[in-house]
Amino acid sequence: MKRIPLAYWFLLPAAVSIILFYVLPVILTFVFSFTSMASDTGIYGNHYVYSKNAIRALEKSTLNRDIFKKIIERKYVFDSESLKIISQSKIEKKTQTEIEETLPGTVYSTEKALFEALDKLKNKPRSFRDKKIISRATIRSLNGEEFIEISEMRVAFEKLQIEVGEEDFDLITEVTNTSWHWTTKNYREVFSNPDSWRIFKNTGLYVTLTLGLFNVGCALIIALLTFYMSLGQSKFFRSLWLIPRISPSVLYVLLWRDLMDHSGFISYVMGYFGVAPTNWMGEFPWVTIIVINGFVGASMGMIIFSSAMQAIPKSLLYAASVDGAYMWQQIRRIILPQIRWPILFIASYQTLSLLTSFEYIQLSTDGGPARDTEVWALHAFHTALSNYWGNLRYGFGATLSVVLVVIGIIASITYLKLFKFQVLLQEPPIEN
Amino acid sequence: MEKHNSNRISTIILFVLSLPLFILYFFFFLDVFTVPSTDSIWPESFTLVHWRFLTETLSGKPSIWITTLNTLIFSGCVVAIVLVLSSTAGYALSRLKMPYRSQLLGTLLLLHSFPSVSLLIAIFIILQMIGLYDSLVGVIIIKASLELPFGIWIMKGFYDTVPWEIEMSGVQDGASRFTVWYKLILPQIYPGLAALSIFSFISSWGEYVLPFVLAPSAEQQTLSVYLAGLLSETTAVDYGLLKAVGLFYMLPVMIFYIFTHEKLMNIYGGGGGSKG
Repeated sequence: MKRIPLAYWFLLPAAVSIILFYVLPVILTFVFSFTSMASDTGIYGNHYVYSKNAIRALEKSTLNRDIFKKIIERKYVFDSESLKIISQSKIEKKTQTEIEETLPGTVYSTEKALFEALDKLKNKPRSFRDKKIISRATIRSLNGEEFIEISEMRVAFEKLQIEVGEEDFDLITEVTNTSWHWTTKNYREVFSNPDSWRIFKNTGLYVTLTLGLFNVGCALIIALLTFYMSLGQSKFFRSLWLIPRISPSVLYVLLWRDLMDHSGFISYVMGYFGVAPTNWMGEFPWVTIIVINGFVGASMGMIIFSSAMQAIPKSLLYAASVDGAYMWQQIRRIILPQIRWPILFIASYQTLSLLTSFEYIQLSTDGGPARDTEVWALHAFHTALSNYWGNLRYGFGATLSVVLVVIGIIASITYLKLFKFQVLLQEPPIEN
Repeated sequence: MEKHNSNRISTIILFVLSLPLFILYFFFFLDVFTVPSTDSIWPESFTLVHWRFLTETLSGKPSIWITTLNTLIFSGCVVAIVLVLSSTAGYALSRLKMPYRSQLLGTLLLLHSFPSVSLLIAIFIILQMIGLYDSLVGVIIIKASLELPFGIWIMKGFYDTVPWEIEMSGVQDGASRFTVWYKLILPQIYPGLAALSIFSFISSWGEYVLPFVLAPSAEQQTLSVYLAGLLSETTAVDYGLLKAVGLFYMLPVMIFYIFTHEKLMNIYGGGGGSKG
C-alpha cells in the first residue's frame, strides 16, 4: 500500500486556506464584475419581492385588473399556518377545536366577513380580543411579501385563491424579481463615466508623488545620510522611521489629524505668522494624503537601500576616497549605480501597494473634500462597501477592483521574471 | 575635518526631515496625561481624566474590555493559524520532495507580491454567502489566509538555512521525517517562529480595513474599529481621550517594538510590508 507522503499533509492545510480565501476571491472578483449585484438585489439569486415599486409597476402594466386587485387585497385565510398560531393562543379550547373542524380552507376578503363567520360558530370567541387574535393569525397579503422560489409564489397564489394565467404569472415574476442578473453594463459604465477619468488621474498623481517624494526619494536620502553616520546615530534614525509602520493605522492617522486641526501644532506655529487657526487637512487634502502615506512608506525603501549599501564592497569605497572623491561623487559614481536594482524593486513594489491601498486616505480625508482626493481603490471601496447614498453596488465595485487585480497579476508576474528573487532552489537531497 | 562637518550636516538634515515624526509622537505622549490649554500648545496641568474610558463605557460604544478581548482573540488566532500553517507548509516547500515544487514556489511568490486588499469586495460577498459575515471567525480566517503566502515564504527562508546534516543524521538513526521535523528541525528555527509571530501580531493588532468591512457590529468590534468610530464622530473630537485610547491600544505593539526593533528591521526589509 502506498502511503500518502508527508509533504501533502504538511502542505494541505495552508493550500486549502490559500485556495479558498485568496485564489478564489481573485477568480470571483472577475465573476462578480459581470453581475448587477447590489445591496438592494441581495447576493443570492431569485428573489421575488412585492415592494412598493413592484406594485406600482404592476398597476401600470397590462396585468388583468382583477388579478391586480386580488394581489393588493388583504385576505383572511384558514390554512395550517394560521390554525397553528390559533392553537398556541389563549383562546378557549372548544372554540379552537370548532375552528379546526369547520373553518379550514375558507377565505374571507374583509375582516367584517371573518368576524361574521366567527360569530356563527356554536362556541364563538368570547371577546373582541380573541377575534383580533384570529384576525391577525389569518391575515394574508402579497403586499410586502418576499419569495425565494417561484414555486413558493405559486403556493401563495393558491392559498389566496388567486387564479393567474401563465402569461400574467410571467409578467408578475418579471416585475417582482429583484435578483441580480448577468451583465456587461458595469464595464461600459467604467469607460463612459466621466468620474472614472478624474479618479484615474487622481490615482496617477497620488502614486507618482508619494513614490517619488517619499517611498523612493525620502527613503534614499535617509539611507544615504545614515550610511555616513556612526552606528548609534544611524540605528536611532532608522528605528524612528520604522515607528509609523508598526503604529496601528487608525492611531497614526489620529495623530496627524490632531497635528493639522484648528487647535493643533501647525495652526499654533502658523499663528506666529499671523495665520488664523485652520483645518489644514481640509485646506491641503493632497499634501495630507501624500505626507501621511509617505511617512509610512519611506521605511521599507530605507531598510532595503541601507542593507544594499552595507553590501557594497568596502574596497570600492576606499578606492574612491583614495582618489580624492568627495562624498557626493562617491554617492553618484559608486553607491547609486550599485543599488539601482533595489531602487527599481522598491519603485515597482511600492507602486503596486500604493495603487491598491486606501486605508490611510479613507481615515484622513475619505476622498474629500468633494471627492478631490478620491483614488481608484477608494472609489471601489466607496462604491461597493461604504457610502452615504445607500445602495452599495457590489457588482460595479468588483468591476473597479478587476482593474486593480489585473494590474496586480501583471505586475507580480513581471517581478517574478525581473527579480527572480534567487529562489527556485535545488531539489532536496533526501527522498521521503 | 571635512568628514566631521559633513557628518554634522547629515545629522541636521535628517533631524529636520524627521521633525514631523518627533512632533507627532511627542504630543501623543504629552496629550494623554495633560489638560490642554485653550490659547497655547503647551498643556496646563497633569491629569488622568482622559483614561476614564477604562472604568466607564463611553456613550454609544461597547465596553473597552470586550473590545480588547475581541482584539486579543482576533490577533491570537491569526498568529496561531499563520504560525502552524506556515511552519508546516514552509518545511514541505523547503525540504520535501513533491511534484510541481517549483510551480508551487512560483505561485507563492506571485501571491506574496499580489496586493490582497484589492480582493476586499469579493471576500465580502463570499463571507455573506457562506454565512461568516459579521463574525470574528470570518475575519480571522480571512486575515490568516491573506498573511499565509508571506508567512510560508519567511519560514521557508529559515528552513533553508538549517544544515541538511541535521536531517540526514536523524533519518539515518531511523526517525521518521515527521519526528525529525518536530524534534530536530523546529528547535533550529525558533528565531524564525519568533520573528513571524511578532510580525503577524503587529499586523493583525493594527488591522483596520478587514474588521471594519467584514465584522462591523458592536459585539465583534476590535480596537481599531472602536478608535476609528470615535475619530469619525461629528461632534468636536476630544483628542486627549482619543490619544489615551490610542496609547492603550498601542501598548502591546510598543513593548514588542522596544525589544525587537532590529529583528523587525530585517523582516520588513524582507519585502513584507503590504502597506503603502
